[in-house]
Amino acid sequence: MVTQESRTYKLAKAAILAVLIAVIPATTVLRAQTTPKPAAAATKPPEDPLAALYNKAMAAMDKKQYAAALKNLEELEKKAAALPPFLQAVISFRKASVFYFLKDWAKADAELNSFLTKFPNGTEKFLDDNDNMRGVAQLTLVEVYANQSKWDDALKLLQVLRTNPLIQPKDRLNAYTLSARIVEEKARSGSEADKKQALGQAVGLLKQATAGGLGTPEAREAGMRLVEVYTKLGLVKDAEQLKAEIDAKGTGSPAEVVRSNFQRIEIGDARFEAGENAAEQKDKDELYRQALASYQGALRRATVSRSVTKAVELKQADLDKLVKENAKPTPEATLKIEAARAEVESFKTIQADFEKNKDYDAFISYRIGLCLLELKRPWEAFVAFRDIFENNPGFSKVSGAYYYYILALREIGRNAEAQAKCKEFLAKYPDAEEVSMVAVILGQISQDREEYEEAIGHYNWAKANVKKMDAATLEEIDFRIICCLFAHVEWDKARVALDEFLAKHQRSFAKEQATYMRALCWFYQGKFKETKAGFDEYQAAYPKGDFIADVRYRQAIVKFGLNPPEVAETLRLCQEWLRDFAVSKNEAIVNQIPEVHTLIADAEIRLATDLDRDIAAADKNVRTNPEPAAKAKYRAEKERLEKEKEGHTVKAIDAYVAAARSGRTNPNALEHVLRELGKLLPGRGEHARMRDLYREIYDWNHADAKALNYLYEVIKATERMGDKPEFAQQAEAVQKKFSAQLAAARKKVDELVKSDGKPADVKAAKDAVAKLSAELAAELDVVEKARQASILAAKGEALGILSGAVAESINDRRQEGSEKLILFLAEKLARKVKRLKPGATAAPDAYTAASAEEEITRLLRLEENKDSLIAQARGFFAKGQLAAFLRDPAKTDFYFKKISANYKAEELSPTILAIVGDHMLARGETKNSEGYFQYIMEHHRSSEYADFGFAGLAEIRLGQKKHKEALELCAEAIDNNVTMSKEKDIRFVKARALAETQKYDEAKKEFEEIAKTKEWKGETTAGCLYWLGLMEERQGRPAEAVGYYRRTYQAWKKYEVWSAKAYLGAARLFATKLDQKQAAKEVIAEMLSKDRIKDTPEAAEARTLSAQL
Amino acid sequence: MRPAVRTLLTAALLGAAAHSFGQALIFKGGERWEVNDPFKMDTSVPPKPLIDPKKGTISSIKGTVVRTVNAGGTDIESTRKLSEVERIIWPNSERLAEAQLFVSRGEPAKALDSVEPIIKFFDAFKKTPGSLWLKASMVKLDALDRLENDAAIGSFLDNLEKNDDGSNPELANKIKLARLMQRARRGEHDAVIADATELIGKLDDLDVLARLHLVKAGSLLATKKYEAAMNTYLRIPVFYGSQAEHLPKAMLGAARAFRGMDTPATREQKLEEVSNRYLRDLIATFPVSKEAEEAKKLLPKEDRLAAEADAAKIKDAAVLPDAPAKPDAPKADGANNNDANK
Repeated sequence: MVTQESRTYKLAKAAILAVLIAVIPATTVLRAQTTPKPAAAATKPPEDPLAALYNKAMAAMDKKQYAAALKNLEELEKKAAALPPFLQAVISFRKASVFYFLKDWAKADAELNSFLTKFPNGTEKFLDDNDNMRGVAQLTLVEVYANQSKWDDALKLLQVLRTNPLIQPKDRLNAYTLSARIVEEKARSGSEADKKQALGQAVGLLKQATAGGLGTPEAREAGMRLVEVYTKLGLVKDAEQLKAEIDAKGTGSPAEVVRSNFQRIEIGDARFEAGENAAEQKDKDELYRQALASYQGALRRATVSRSVTKAVELKQADLDKLVKENAKPTPEATLKIEAARAEVESFKTIQADFEKNKDYDAFISYRIGLCLLELKRPWEAFVAFRDIFENNPGFSKVSGAYYYYILALREIGRNAEAQAKCKEFLAKYPDAEEVSMVAVILGQISQDREEYEEAIGHYNWAKANVKKMDAATLEEIDFRIICCLFAHVEWDKARVALDEFLAKHQRSFAKEQATYMRALCWFYQGKFKETKAGFDEYQAAYPKGDFIADVRYRQAIVKFGLNPPEVAETLRLCQEWLRDFAVSKNEAIVNQIPEVHTLIADAEIRLATDLDRDIAAADKNVRTNPEPAAKAKYRAEKERLEKEKEGHTVKAIDAYVAAARSGRTNPNALEHVLRELGKLLPGRGEHARMRDLYREIYDWNHADAKALNYLYEVIKATERMGDKPEFAQQAEAVQKKFSAQLAAARKKVDELVKSDGKPADVKAAKDAVAKLSAELAAELDVVEKARQASILAAKGEALGILSGAVAESINDRRQEGSEKLILFLAEKLARKVKRLKPGATAAPDAYTAASAEEEITRLLRLEENKDSLIAQARGFFAKGQLAAFLRDPAKTDFYFKKISANYKAEELSPTILAIVGDHMLARGETKNSEGYFQYIMEHHRSSEYADFGFAGLAEIRLGQKKHKEALELCAEAIDNNVTMSKEKDIRFVKARALAETQKYDEAKKEFEEIAKTKEWKGETTAGCLYWLGLMEERQGRPAEAVGYYRRTYQAWKKYEVWSAKAYLGAARLFATKLDQKQAAKEVIAEMLSKDRIKDTPEAAEARTLSAQL
Repeated sequence: MRPAVRTLLTAALLGAAAHSFGQALIFKGGERWEVNDPFKMDTSVPPKPLIDPKKGTISSIKGTVVRTVNAGGTDIESTRKLSEVERIIWPNSERLAEAQLFVSRGEPAKALDSVEPIIKFFDAFKKTPGSLWLKASMVKLDALDRLENDAAIGSFLDNLEKNDDGSNPELANKIKLARLMQRARRGEHDAVIADATELIGKLDDLDVLARLHLVKAGSLLATKKYEAAMNTYLRIPVFYGSQAEHLPKAMLGAARAFRGMDTPATREQKLEEVSNRYLRDLIATFPVSKEAEEAKKLLPKEDRLAAEADAAKIKDAAVLPDAPAKPDAPKADGANNNDANK
C-alpha cells in the first residue's frame, strides 16, 4: 500500500456509510403507520359518539399528537365492550400503532400480542377488503422485538410468517428479508466468527427470498439486501452480478437508482478493503482497479439530488392527482391519500437529509484519488484530490485529502508545491491527525534535496507551530534536524543537539546512531582525543553495533591524525578492518572499503615522505664526504633509504589502485584516489597502469555522467604511453656513450691548438669531433624517430579507443553523449591537419583535411554502420564539425545540408536537430529547419537544446509574418525560462514581433534592453539600433530615426547586414523627409565605398536612389 | 425505527417491475409489444432483416407497428400507431456500436453510413423515452466532427435545434455541446472555456460531461494553458472512466498537455516520459483508434516501433477488443435502465 495511513480512509468510509444510511430511500412509513384509518367508522354515522371519539383519535394521530390519540383510544376502548370483535380489533391495532410511534416498545409489544391473540380474524374487512392486518401486525411485532433486542422472539415469529401458507406472498418475502436482518443484528455484538456465521445464514434466507425471481419489489428488496451481505462477505463478484440483475429488472425509479448507486459505492469499498489486505501486488492492483471502476460509476451529488427531487415530485404528483380525483373521498380513497401523503413526507425527509450532507462528491473524489495513488497513477490522483479543493473546499475530511494530495505531489516530482501545501495544511488544520506526518514531510522534502538550512527551518517551523504533534514525531524531527546540521557540517551545533537529544530521548530508537554521530562531530572537528573517547564509548556500548565498521575505520584515522601519527598502528587497524569486513555485502561497509584502502595508501605515503629527510641527509653525506669508504657507506645508505621509500610508494600506489577499483559505489573516495593517482602514476611513467585503471572505471557504466571524463583520461594516458621512458633512457645512454668520446676528441683538438699542432692534425682532430657529433646526432635521431613513431602509434591507439566509444553509441539516437564524443574526435583530428598559407600546396604525404575526413569516416565506423540512419547522420555531422574546426564554412554547409535534405526530424538527436536547424535557418532555409525546431518543441522541451526550438521557430514565424505566433512562442519560452543560450535571439525576435504589431513602446524597451546588455554586444546590438531607427521612421520621426541609423552604421559597420540597411534608411530619410539631398548623397557615397556593403541589395537600391537625387 | 427495518419496508413503495427481454414498445396503458430489430440481418447474400413473425414490425414511414397474433387458431393482425408508444426498450444496437467504432477509428464516412438509417428509423418517435435517436444523432455529430465539415455540422445542428421544443433537456444540452465544439474549431477558445466551465457545473449526463471536458481541455491546450489542459483532460479517465469512447481523446490530449508543460525547469518531473507513457497506453488500449495513430506520430521513433510491435502482438493474440464495451451511464430518470443495460 502506498499510503500507510488507512485511518483516514476508514474514517472516510464510516462517514460515507452514514450518508448511505441517511439517503436510503425509506420511501414509506411503517406498515403500522400506513395502515389505513377506519375513516368509514368515523364518518358513518357522524353523530355516533364512539365514531366521533375514533375520528378525534385519528385526527390526533394525523397531527402526530400521539398522547392525545392514545387518550381517545383508551376512552373508546372502555366504551367499546359491546362492539363487534373486528371493531375492537381496530381499536387495539390503532393503540398498538400509537405505542409504536411513541417508541414505547414494551406496550407496543403487549398490545400487538394482545391483538394477535384476541382477534384471530384481525380487523376483518374493516380497514382493507384484502387485508385483516394480522400480517402487518406480525411484521410490526418483529420490529418491536428487534427494537427490544428480543432476537429469538423475532426470529420465531418470522419463522411462523415464512411457513404460514395463509400469509400473503409479499409478506412472506418480507419475512425472509427481515429474518436475514434480524440474524445479522443478533450477531452484531458477537465475535467475528458469529458475525460471519450470521452473514452466512442471512445469505441462505435471502436466497430463498429471491429464489422466485426478482420480479416484485419485495423480491428486489431481498436481492438488494443480498447484494449488501455478499459485499460484507467479500463476495464482490456475486454482489456485482446480482446487482446487475436487480438493476436490469428494476423499474428505474429514482429511488432504485439512488439505492443502486450506494450499493456500487459499497462494492467499491469492499474491493478497496480487499485490495488493502491482499498479499500479492498483482491482486492488489486488480482489486484497486475494480474499486476504481465502482467509484467511477457512482453518481455525483447533483445527479443523486436530482433523482431524489424527482422521486419527491413524482410522489407529490401522485398525491395531487389522488386528491384532485377524489374531491369527496370515499373511505378507501382517504386511505390511499393518507398513504400517499406519508410517502411524500418520507421522501422529503430523505431529500432534506441528503441536502444537509455536502461531502458526498468529495468522498467519491477522495476514494478515486486513493485508488489511483495505490495504482501508481499519481498524476490522475493529483487531479482527483485537486477536484476536492476546487469543488468541495468545505469537505469534512479535507485534511486527509490534503495529506494524500501532498503524497501525489511528491510522486509527480512537484516538491516545492508539496511544501507549500504542507505549510498551508499545518496552518489550516493544526488539530488534524495527519499533522505530524505532514510536518515531517515538509522538512523531508528539503532534506532530500540537500537544502539543509531550509529543512532545518521547516522542521523548526513545524515544532513551533504545530500544536498537536505526537512525541514520536517530535523525536523524529529532532533527529532529522541533527542529521541536517550534520550534513551541513555544523559540527558544534550538531554535537550540542545530539547531547540534548540523548538527554531528552533516553529510550530513543536512534540512541545508538546519536552516540556514534556525537563522536563523529568531534572527529570532523579534528579533536581526536574527544573522538577517541566518543568511539570508545560507542564500541563499549555497541560491540556489534550497526556502525562498528565505521567506528573502527575512524579509530584508525584517529591514530593517523595524532601528532606525530601512529602510522604503524594505523596500518594495523586498517589491515584488521579489511580482514574483518572486506567481504561484507553490507552497502555501507562496501562503500567504506575504498576509504580504508585510501587510508592505507595515505599512511604509506606518509612513511615514504618521512624518509625524505634521511635520504637528503645521506645525499649530503655522499656529497660532503670525499673519503671513498665513507662515500660508499653513505651511498649505500641512501640507496637503501630510496629503496625503502620506493617500497612504501609502491604500496601506496597499490592501495590507491585498490581503493579506485573498489570505489564504484563511493564517488567521493573514487574522485580523491584518482586525483592522488593522477599525481603519482604519470610522474613515474606508469601511463599503461593509469590507462588500464581508467578503462576499468569507464567500463563500469558508459552512461554514467562522468563516463566521458574517464574516457578522456583513458585517451590521454594512451597518448602519453607513446612517449615511453625507455626512449629517454636510450637517449641518455647514447649521450653518455658519446660524451666521453667527444670530450676526449675535443680535448685532443684543444691540445693540438694549444701546442700549435700541425694544421692537418688539427683538422683531423676537428673532423673526428665532427664525425662523433654526427654519429651522436644520428643515433639520437634514431631514438627520436622511434619515440615519434611510438607517440604516433599511441595517438592512433587513443583515437581507436575514442572511435570505439563513439561507435558504441553511434546507432543509438538517444545517446546524447555521442555528439560530445564526435566533437572531441573532430577537434583532435582537426589539430592533426597542418594549416597551409593561402596558395601553398601541401606535401604529398601531409595530413590534410581530406585525410582527416577519411580518418573520421573510418574511426566512426561509418562503413560498418551504413544501414543506421542516425550513424550516417552523425557521420555527416562529424564531417561538418570537422570542417568547422578547419574553418571551411562551405564544407560545413555542404554536410549540414545533406542532413537537412535527407533526414526527418525524428531520425536525429536533439544536438544535431538544434545545430543543423540553426545553421540552415541562418542561411535562410526554413523548410526543413522548421520541422527540426518543431520536433525539438514537441519532444525535447526539457533538453539543453529546447531554446533552439523556440528561438528557431519564432524566427521562422516572424519571417512568415505570423507575428502573433512568434510573440506567443517567445512569451512561452521566456515565461518558462526556456531561453538558455538563445535568450538574446528569443528577445530579439520578440522585440521585432512587437514592433511589427505596432507595440512600439514595448518593443523599444526590449530593443534597448538587448542593446545595453554587455554580454550580447555585437551583431544583435546593431540589429537593435537599426530597428529602433526603423520604429522611429514608422512613427513619423525621421530625425530620431536617422540618429539611430547613424549609430548603427558608425558603430557597427562590420555587420554589413544591418549597416547597409541603416545607410539606406538614413539616405532615404535625408532625401525624402528631411529635404537634405546633399546629405543623402554623402551617406550613399560613404555606403558604396565600403567593400563589405557595396555588393549588397541595399547598395543597389542606394544607387537607384542616388540617381534620382 | 432501525434503518434495517426501514430499509426492508421501503421496497413496498417502489413501482412495478418492467419485464423486458429484447426490443419492445410499451404503449400507453402498459401494453407491451415485442418488436423486430430492423438492423439485425441474416447471413444470406444480400443480407435480409431477421423477422420473427411473433413480434411486431415497425414501419417508420407509416408511423405504425403491425403484429400478428394467433388467437384460437386464427391469425389476427393488429396495428397500432407509433405515437401511442409511451416507452421504448431497445438494447444497444449493434449497428450503432459499429458506427461508434468507425468514429473512434477515424472513419467518419463509414460511421455516417451506419448511423443514418438508425436516425431515420427512430425519427418517428425520437422523443419517446428509450429512443436511440438522440444517441445516434450524437454519433452522427461525432462523425461530422471528425470530417471537420463545419457546414454539414451547422446544418445538422440547425435541424436538431428545430426539433428542440424544450421537452428534452438532454437534446438541448447536446446541441449546446455541439455548438461549443463548432466555436472551438473557429478558435473562440476563451469563450469556449468559459461556457464549457459553466455548463459542466450544470449537467450530470456523464457522456456530455466527458465531451464538455474534452472541448474545454482542447481550448485550454490551444491557448497554451498546458497545466489547466492536463488537469481537464485527466478528469476524463479519473471521473468519467466509464465513458470509454472518450478516453483515447483524453489520453492523447493529456499527453500533448504534458509535452507543453515540459521545460528545463520541470525536468525533474520527466514530463516527456509521462507524456510518452500516456501515448503508449493509448496505443496499447485503443490500438485501432484514430488517436492511436496520432499518438504514434507523437512518440519518439524508438517508442513508436516498440508500441507498434506490442500492438501487433496483441492483435495476433486477438484476445482484446478495440474499445471496451461501454456500459450505459446510470440515468437518474431510469430511461435506460432496462435489459439493454445488462
